[in-house]
This record gives sequence, C-alpha cells and structure tokens, in this order.
Amino acid sequence: MIRDITIGQYYPVDSVIHRLDPRTKLAGTVIFLISLFVTSSPVGYVLATLVLAGVIKLSRVPFKFMTRGLRAILIVLLLSVSFNIFLTPGTTILKIGFLRATKEGLILAGFMGLRLVYLVIGSSLMTLTTTPTQLTDGLEKSLRFLNRVGVPVHDIAMMMSIALRFIPILVEETDKIMKAQTARGADFDSGNLIQRAKAMIPLLVPLFVSAFRRASDLAMAMEARCYHGGEGRTKMHPLRYETRDRIAYLLMFVYLALMIASRFIRFRLF
Amino acid sequence: MSIRAENLSYIYNEGTVMETYAIRDVSFEIGDGTFVGLIGHTGSGKSTLIQHLNGLLKPSRGTVYFNGEDIFAEGYNMKALRGHVGLVFQYPEYQLFEEDVLTDVMFGPKNLGCSDDVAKERAIRALTQCGVDEGRFDRSPFELSGGYKRRVAIAGVIAMEPDVLILDEPTAGLDPHGRDEILGMISRLHKERKMTVILVSHSMDDVAEHADKIMVLNHGELLFYDTPREVFKHAAELESYGLSAPEITYLAADLNAAGISVDPSMSTIEEAKEEILKALGR
Ligand SMILES: Nc1ncnc2c1ncn2[C@@H]1O[C@H](COP(=O)(O)OP(=O)(O)OP(=O)(O)O)[C@@H](O)[C@H]1O
Ligand SMILES: [Mg+2]
Repeated sequence: MIRDITIGQYYPVDSVIHRLDPRTKLAGTVIFLISLFVTSSPVGYVLATLVLAGVIKLSRVPFKFMTRGLRAILIVLLLSVSFNIFLTPGTTILKIGFLRATKEGLILAGFMGLRLVYLVIGSSLMTLTTTPTQLTDGLEKSLRFLNRVGVPVHDIAMMMSIALRFIPILVEETDKIMKAQTARGADFDSGNLIQRAKAMIPLLVPLFVSAFRRASDLAMAMEARCYHGGEGRTKMHPLRYETRDRIAYLLMFVYLALMIASRFIRFRLF
Repeated sequence: MSIRAENLSYIYNEGTVMETYAIRDVSFEIGDGTFVGLIGHTGSGKSTLIQHLNGLLKPSRGTVYFNGEDIFAEGYNMKALRGHVGLVFQYPEYQLFEEDVLTDVMFGPKNLGCSDDVAKERAIRALTQCGVDEGRFDRSPFELSGGYKRRVAIAGVIAMEPDVLILDEPTAGLDPHGRDEILGMISRLHKERKMTVILVSHSMDDVAEHADKIMVLNHGELLFYDTPREVFKHAAELESYGLSAPEITYLAADLNAAGISVDPSMSTIEEAKEEILKALGR
C-alpha cells in the first residue's frame, strides 16, 4: 500500500542509462521537460514519445514502475484535464448543464494531460536509474557555481541526500508500525474521516519518535566522524564524463533542436 | 485452536529483479497448547512465516487454516483472528504510542471491543505478568528503559488474551537476566493459560528449555518439525546450516567421548542432571 511511493526509489539493474553520469541524466531530464513545453504539435509529441519509450527500453526498468508515480498526481491530472476541457472557449461539442466542452478544450486537455504524465515518467526515470547519492553528487557539482553568490550548495545537497536516503527507511518503518498495530487490532481502512484520522495516531506517534531518534543518531554519528561541511572535502568516487556521456549530450541537443523545429511544422490534423 | 499451513510460499517484490523467495512450500500443523520453537539463521524467513499466521501477509501461494477455516478466504473475519492469534514483532518497543503505560496496553483489548473497565483489568493483569510493577503504570512509555519498553510492548499483546501467542525474537538485545525473565514469563503463560506459543529465535538454547516441538527453517524451507530430542540428533546437519544444537547436546557428546555414557539427545539442564547422575551411578 504505502510502498507505491516511487520518488527516491532506485531500481537496481545494470544498463547504459544507469551507468551515465548523474549530471548527464539531470541535464537530460531538464531538456526533456523543457522540450515538452516548447512544442505543441503532434509531431513533437510523437518524437517525445519515441524518445521516452527508447530510453525506458534502454534503462531495463519495467514499465509498471514508471507509472506508479502517476497515482500520486491522479487528482491534479483529472482537475487540470477537466478544467481545460470545459473552460477553454471555442466550438462547443458537448453541453452538460452550464458546462460546455469545446473542441479546442479537448485538444488542449489532451496535450496538457500528456505533458503532465510525461513529466512524471521522465523524472521517475531519473530517480529509478540513479542512486540518491549519485543524484545529489550530480546536483552539487552542476550547481556549484551558485556558491559564488552565497548559496550553501554543499549543505543543501547533503540535506537532500539525507532526506532521500530516509524516504525508503521511513516507508519501511511505516509499514512495520502499521503491521504491529494491526496485530493489536487497529483498523486503518474503515470508518468515517474522523475515525480514520484518529486511527492514524498509533501510527504517527511512533513514526515521529523514531524519525527524531534516527535524526539525532545520525547527527551524532556525523559529528563523531568530524563532519564539518563541504570545505576541503574530497569524493570517494569523483564524477567524470565518459564517451557515453558525450554521445548522450549530443543526442539530447539533436532531440531538443528537432523539438524546437517541430514548433514550426504546420500540421493540419484537426 | 490448531493452526495449519498448507504449501505456503511468499515472494517479496514478485515480478521484479529484487524478487526473493522468503518462504517456499512450507506445510505444518500446530496443535492446541503446543509450545513451538521456530529456529533459523538470519534471513531464513522466520518473520515472514509468522506474519502469515494472523493474516498480516497474504501468501503468494498456499494458505493457512485456523480451526479448520481458511483465513484468506473471502469474508473471513480478520479482526477476530487477530484477537485469537497475538503477534509480538521483533523489537516491539517501537509500537508504543500512548501517554502512559497502562493506556498503551489497553489499546489492544479496546480494539477488540472490551469496555474501559475490562480493558483496564486485562492490562493490569498482563503488565503484572510481564513483570512491570504498578509504580510504572502511569509513566510515559518513552521514558522507560529498553527492557521495560519491551515488557510493556509484550503486555500490549498479552492483554488481548490470545489463544495463540507468537513472539518474534522477544529476547533480542536483552541482558541474560532480562532474557530469562521474558522466557520464564512466556513459559508460565503457556502452562497456566494453556496458550499455544510460537517462539522465534536463532538460539537453540532459548528454545530447547521450553519447546515441545522445534521447527527449523533454512532459506525459506522447512527442514525439521519435530520434538527437540529428534531435531538435536541432527546436530551435525544443523551446524552445516549455520545453526548449533544447545550447549547441553555438545556436553553430552563430550561426556560420551570421555567414556561417561549419557543419552546423546538430552537437551535441557534438567535432563542433563538426571543423565549425569545416572551415569555416575547415584
Ligand atoms: N520487506 C521486505 N522486502 C523485501 N525483501 C524482504 C522484506 N522482508 C524480508 N525480506 C527478505 O526475505 C527473506 C526472509 O526475511 P525474514 O525477515 O523473514 O527473515 P528472518 O528469518 O526473520 O531473519 P532475522 O533472523 O534476521 O529476523 C530475507 O532474504 C529478506 O531479505
Ligand atoms: Mg526476523
């Protein structure tokens, strides 16, 4: 139940995508996200779909893991799609009471929905193929220039990596506590809203207690090992670009260029 | 109150690369009032197995019968089952959440539908049985020492007055004294209330003293399910699976090697005493 959360869930297989430098994957994800917004032509979306499908195939992560993240945004997705269908002015195709669905709205909603779905799948793909440690290493190195304007990049990256590291631990812990309380007759799945909210207390109290305990243990362990921030700290695995990263960058820019070009293709489908 | 498992298998993360067979085709029957010791080294599937017995995990294959009824059948009353089969998890102290010890222990009975008075009565009885004195009843469970937290957590399950009590390594991380107390308490519950007990452990010594039957798991498969005497006859085989027979069994082997003939399958201190006295002709 609770294990459906995919963010920060690494899927351990060996693939070209897994082996790419995290910075390459970060850049790729950003470029993919941007590309979804520069185009609104069907050709562009076909291209994006092909690229996404190709990368998923290369990553060797089963497709069902990609779609798990979608459940979390289902409500947002439904809301934005229906707003678009009913609130866009244009030719009416369906009338329900005072609501008018328009052809333009339908098309817009379709693109909008696709964009959101691809956004989530694109970012899940990155977190599924990159360990949290690599991810934050990548972020830290890519954003290091911000240090000069006084942003404590290392500290933020460290906080992020700890937070990401703790997600699966807390998920597991929640599962464990839930089971233990269920064995004591607790019921998390039935009753009205107030009863359900009250049923969460036996879950949340132990969860908070353990989260705080873990945090303080970790702080102590870090201090015991003389952690003092990023100053002069070296990496065990310094990031270095390989040939495959150069190829990946090249492909990414070709893709982005094609997507931008697709803006200008007049495609008369409707 | 018999429990019967039939061809039980459980696979974690089925259908992904992280797929692990935690238990594989396990079948057994545990009769009324039996004290079963469940043994296996780390990762052998003990915790996974016992979570099936009160329906917390749904088997990938096979099923479990409680009093002849399939507990995974549609419409089976799981909540009632949890009242009959009490499960104390490994490190149960993390489940404490109430403001004071007594209220925390009352949580289980109240979930079963007991009134406040009955729940309180049961909670006091359970706490006393677990060796928690009255002075600690209105303390916060978070202020107690580890050993007392453990006792309160175990009392939380015992207060539900189950017919079958399952404990997952209840002595892990306790000092020898705390360990003896907890094991003694479990053994008393078994004798006085005729409770069926399943005690998970990876120490043969913990289990040999009290168990009527011993179940040995290895990599998710059931190797032995027999009386301690029978199981300990396979001491060499147990060792090849990373388990050891109780100290007493090794003592018997040493004595026999030294020419003092004793029953090689003795397994408790009591038996050893009698055997040695007999061998010495007293
Ligand atoms: N939540 C889980 N997800 C994936 N695999 C799991 C999970 N829990 C247990 N496993 C795996 O199932 C197998 C059996 O684990 P289990 O916890 O039942 O062993 P155990 O005998 O209780 O061990 P221990 O003595 O350490 O408590 C192990 O290989 C373990 O890695
Ligand atoms: Mg275990």
